[in-house]
Amino acid sequence: MDDFQSGEETSFVVDEVSNIIKEAIETAIGGNAYQHSRVNQWTTSVVEQTLSQLTKLGKPFKYIVTCVIMQKNGAGLHTASSCFWDNSSDGNCTVRWENKTMYCIVSAFGLAI
Amino acid sequence: MAKQEPALLPLAVAPDGAEAPPPRAVPGGARRGSQPLDALPRPAAPAKSTEEGKPPLLPSRRSSMLSVLNAPFASRRSSLVAVPGGRRPAVGPWMLHSRVSFSGLPLFQPIQEIRYENTYRMQPDEGCKFSACRVRRVLESALAASLGDAAYSAQSGAQLAHSLADLLRSRAKEAVPPRYKLVCHVLLGQRGQQSLLVASRALWDPQSDSFASATFSNASLFAVATVHGLYFE
Repeated sequence: MDDFQSGEETSFVVDEVSNIIKEAIETAIGGNAYQHSRVNQWTTSVVEQTLSQLTKLGKPFKYIVTCVIMQKNGAGLHTASSCFWDNSSDGNCTVRWENKTMYCIVSAFGLAI
Repeated sequence: MAKQEPALLPLAVAPDGAEAPPPRAVPGGARRGSQPLDALPRPAAPAKSTEEGKPPLLPSRRSSMLSVLNAPFASRRSSLVAVPGGRRPAVGPWMLHSRVSFSGLPLFQPIQEIRYENTYRMQPDEGCKFSACRVRRVLESALAASLGDAAYSAQSGAQLAHSLADLLRSRAKEAVPPRYKLVCHVLLGQRGQQSLLVASRALWDPQSDSFASATFSNASLFAVATVHGLYFE
């Protein structure tokens, strides 16, 4: 399997994915302050845009994208993930973004087909 | 056929080579690693006819190749088995090993190369799909059991989230059929007056892949656990 799935074209490149996610967050949320009514729309558009950009990479992966938006009020939040997969081909990337009023945490997982 | 792939030879153990017709024995050995064990106790009745039908050259050539590959004892064994009766003498399991110490214990086990071939399975078997409902129940019970009425603390939160993710993944793995890759995502937060929204979307095969999600909350903390199961072809 390693013979087929090595090299840039068919591997999960974290930097590339990280840029995609950051861009998606910037375009969706940008400089907005937390508004409860718009959170749904923001998460949807972050997830949608990330996924569509990942799809455009044209790599043989199945993707999972998760987005969490939490209002800042002093409460703590931890996130952890654990996976059962093929370490040599699969990968994940998590981006933490925040402004004055909210946290946004986006994780993308790529699992080779 | 047997000559072109010497790696196959250790699979087709000498008694098999002497008894069974080579054209059938070789593909069988290539398909399943356990073939030689199945073939060993096979009665000699059909073997005689094939031995008569075949040119005598081929089996003898194979066993001589075996003796090159294996230890010297193997050649003696194959000559034992090639006795006209064709019946395997009742011997202990140590005879299966190619080299035997004087105490009768095997010195080493011959390394049998297992060759895997394509299964041509493109989707989960009937009744072996990711069951979101079952995994959700597993997650809920694991979350409730491990968190109970734990209180949130900023120091231990990270560690707790880590161990929770590991625990939930291993629990979920027991409830998920084979050939599924799992991604287990855990959020652990302090309960304030804040709002939080989790969204997730995936690019996958909706026929076989699915996810399960469970939440837990008590007076001081909340947890959201999501397990995605992706079928690996």
